[in-house]
Amino acid sequence: MVGPGSRIYTNAIKEVWVPEDKKDKKKQTDFIDAIWGVFISLRMVVILLLVLSVLSIVGTVIEQNKPPQEYYHLFRPETVELLGKLGLLDMYHSWWFTSCLALLALNIIACTMERYPFIMKGMKRSTPLLDEKVEAGMKDPAKIRYSLPLETVEKRITAIAGKAFSAPIVTETESGRHFFYEKGRYTRLSFFLTHLSILIIFAGAITGSLFGFKGYVNINEGEKISAVQVRHGQNKDLGFSIQCNSFNVDYYDSGAPKDYRSDLSVIKDGKEVVRKTIRVNDPLSYEGITFYQSSFGSIPEAVTFEIRGKDGASLGTVVAPVGKQVDIPGSRTKMEVADYREHFHMQDGSEAGTAIGVNIYPPGGAPEGIWIFESHPEMNRHGEYSFGVKGVKLNKYTGLQVNKDPGVWMVWTGSLLLVAGIMMAFFMSHKKFWIRLEKDKKGRVEVTAGGTTNKNKLAFAAETARLIQSFREVS
Amino acid sequence: MTNSLLFGISIFVYFFSMVLYVSYLAFRSESLGKVATLTLLAGVLIETAAISLRWLESYQMGIGRAPLTNLYESLVFFAWTIAIVYLLIERKFKIKTAGAFVTPFPFIIMAYASLTPNEIQPLVPALQSNWLISHVVTCFIGYAAFAVSFGVSFLYLFKVKAENRPGKKQGAFLGYLPSSDVLDEVGYKTIAIGFPLLTIGIVTGAFWANVAWGTYWSWDPKETWSLIVWLIYAAYLHARITKGWRGNKAALLSIIGFSATLFCYLGVNLILSGLHSYGGAS
Repeated sequence: MVGPGSRIYTNAIKEVWVPEDKKDKKKQTDFIDAIWGVFISLRMVVILLLVLSVLSIVGTVIEQNKPPQEYYHLFRPETVELLGKLGLLDMYHSWWFTSCLALLALNIIACTMERYPFIMKGMKRSTPLLDEKVEAGMKDPAKIRYSLPLETVEKRITAIAGKAFSAPIVTETESGRHFFYEKGRYTRLSFFLTHLSILIIFAGAITGSLFGFKGYVNINEGEKISAVQVRHGQNKDLGFSIQCNSFNVDYYDSGAPKDYRSDLSVIKDGKEVVRKTIRVNDPLSYEGITFYQSSFGSIPEAVTFEIRGKDGASLGTVVAPVGKQVDIPGSRTKMEVADYREHFHMQDGSEAGTAIGVNIYPPGGAPEGIWIFESHPEMNRHGEYSFGVKGVKLNKYTGLQVNKDPGVWMVWTGSLLLVAGIMMAFFMSHKKFWIRLEKDKKGRVEVTAGGTTNKNKLAFAAETARLIQSFREVS
Repeated sequence: MTNSLLFGISIFVYFFSMVLYVSYLAFRSESLGKVATLTLLAGVLIETAAISLRWLESYQMGIGRAPLTNLYESLVFFAWTIAIVYLLIERKFKIKTAGAFVTPFPFIIMAYASLTPNEIQPLVPALQSNWLISHVVTCFIGYAAFAVSFGVSFLYLFKVKAENRPGKKQGAFLGYLPSSDVLDEVGYKTIAIGFPLLTIGIVTGAFWANVAWGTYWSWDPKETWSLIVWLIYAAYLHARITKGWRGNKAALLSIIGFSATLFCYLGVNLILSGLHSYGGAS
């Protein structure tokens, strides 16, 4: 029996008789097929994109990677602990966020594999013949008859089509002469560009985090360093030295910084190999390591004090290098400059100007920490001494961000491909256009023309309609 | 300051164009429609003059830079791009009735801008870069395209809802609106324009960040929100292109997308903190 019945019969057989070993395999392939089906489904794509956006919001509400004390300031200790355990304080690097990104990457790979054969099919050159099959696939092919010689019609029509397309493929058959025009076949590859570019960007980001580093260093004017501090307080040796020859800042009248720049030298094996003045937006790169102007400041090198006794008589001036104990004249008490604040805030919030933190070491007694104010001598009486600040010798330093990112070129390559792919996908399409010239039974010239496209069908229909209208106007 | 005078005039002109577009929707007079479009165009021209003048004035003050560097300047630029993108879309797709849903944006945004400080401030070193213009301009034209898509999607939902209302026939009025297919198509086309621009805006921003701060992506709230906006529109485009999502669902996603865009632009500066603090109200 042939018909629907037989199909049911064979199906039934299949269901009933499957050898044990094959049954497992079948189950397995069913399972894999099912997973594959989920992976390439649109639902998966849309859900992943929306889940990633919702998760990302969380990280903008809870500020990420702040010093712990700030979190304890904002939340209760047990909340901070919970947030930390859930990875919410560094969520963009948490295992669950990274897994979502990995799923997205797998999803892109699966969809690319799934699409590959279809795209490659579209990339194959179409038949250059306007045969019945091609004609049937067109929306509304035009047929125009002319009372002109064949050569004239051909010349004029191909001249018009030649303005819209590049040179056609011309084929001569029994049915007539066929002209095949094509444009933008390679735009079919835009799918690969837009999707693989994301993978390239991911690969770049992974390369950067595995083989690169981000560090930070302050260099005093005139000094050099050869290692920088990277994450977790580790030091990274650069393999060369970097010296800050000078540092300068310009200010606007408002007091806001206008421009700050460091004159840097790279020193390798005792020789200066590169010298450049860097500023914000203009870093220095050497051997794959880049130095960015990030901040600046100054630290005191030494402070000069005038010290008076109880009766107000001067005991003399003292030059105290930072971190060194020096004698107060006429006594066995020592003092040491330990801290420096350019803008000291009093407990009531008011500003007291420059203040110097000093440790006083009385002979045999416990050391005492005091603040000495440059512009408030009346506050500087401590025990039997009063201190006046005569001068502060400051050392300028430049703060540099120091990075090595061997994956960054991949990120830019991926970005460029992504933009190119998106442009192609939205604004270009694969257009095909055929013209057939023949003579009908009465010997009149008959032109059949029409086209197909893979995208923006409405715009293409308007474009071909205009083209065909110009064909009709040929006389 | 003459630039603020011109900006002030443009607020009023945008207000009138909004009133005219709404009247056009209510009274359906062709000549009213023409006047509405011309008024909006006038608003754009006056604002163009205002922006150019502000640019010029910054040079006269000796701190010459493009007027794209604080909240005030970005707001007026946003209003300007929305008006221009809308005028282009109106011309191309003949959807004048959507104007009533889009023109409130330039007016409200300009009115809001007038409440924020508008002195011409010199640039902090991080903003002194050639990337400033390409980054800001691409982002904002993208935002403007999303704004127009939002207005058109809103009109779409409005129309579909009115059509499905049982009983009372408002045939004449509804017939006057563009067909829901056209609205749906324009809602998509504007996103198809905005998405590549947002992508370029994010990429130029990343490139600039890498030059200025030494990192192309630091998950700062502004960056993250621009990524969120990008992901939402990417979801929209995937749903539309591969599964042909149209109509209500597409319009809804366009509205969600623009809400996220607004948060990315204003919410992040006003509520959250981060590296992009230049746009803040302070």
